[in-house]
Amino acid sequence: MLRISCQQASRLLSQNQDEPLPFGKRLRLRLHLMYCDACSRVSRQLETLRLALQKWRDED
Amino acid sequence: MASTATLTGAILAIEFETLAEQRPYLMKVARLELRDEHLAEDCVSDALTQAYEHRAKFRGDSSLRTWLTSILKNRIIDVVRKQWREQPLEESPSGEQEFDNLFDDSGHYAQMPSQVRDPYELCKEDRFLSAVQMCVDKLPKRIGQVFVLREVFGSDTKELCKDLGLTTSNVWVQLYRARMMLRTCLERTGFGNAHTG
Repeated sequence: MLRISCQQASRLLSQNQDEPLPFGKRLRLRLHLMYCDACSRVSRQLETLRLALQKWRDED
Repeated sequence: MASTATLTGAILAIEFETLAEQRPYLMKVARLELRDEHLAEDCVSDALTQAYEHRAKFRGDSSLRTWLTSILKNRIIDVVRKQWREQPLEESPSGEQEFDNLFDDSGHYAQMPSQVRDPYELCKEDRFLSAVQMCVDKLPKRIGQVFVLREVFGSDTKELCKDLGLTTSNVWVQLYRARMMLRTCLERTGFGNAHTG
């Protein structure tokens, strides 16, 4: 089954920031993001969060 | 002889000054991790002293800040491990439930997450960075400690497992929870977009 819930997708989005996802998970996540606006937004939020902490750390 | 001694003294003094210039930065990251001014001070002082004693080992292939941060990280991990040993676990697995309220019964987001139009522009705003810092400070302590080690000190999953004695899946759960709590916290102000309507 390739379809996953937003909850599962969100876990994978987070995990993806820590480790390269194995092929199957990566595929499921990509498919999910193709049709899910909510998770696409969360994906962008998590990227923003990471960027914000780097900026916060590096600015004097 | 006297002039040589003075010269050596001057060079050493400059070296320590150079290290000490990084102190505000080190204090900032130590505070975020430890949430305790005195513990942060102790770790930073230890790290600067240790760096000074081992200054000959600094190769310059990384930046001075990176080198100091790695020394500080070791001090901080010692403190965190001690805290974790001495304090019983504050989070029960039931914390997971509160969190699942984000999703409806079919596993979809109960509320539409906010759109971040331009992460780079948003992260140039001091106001947004302060909001992020405030939200990190509000995380449950252990979750915050794992998250800050990951995102600010740059530890990877393997290092977090080794340094904190956690399993890989435990690290993933802690980081997932941290990120979901942070995005929920930032949603309260529309993820920085509130002022644009």
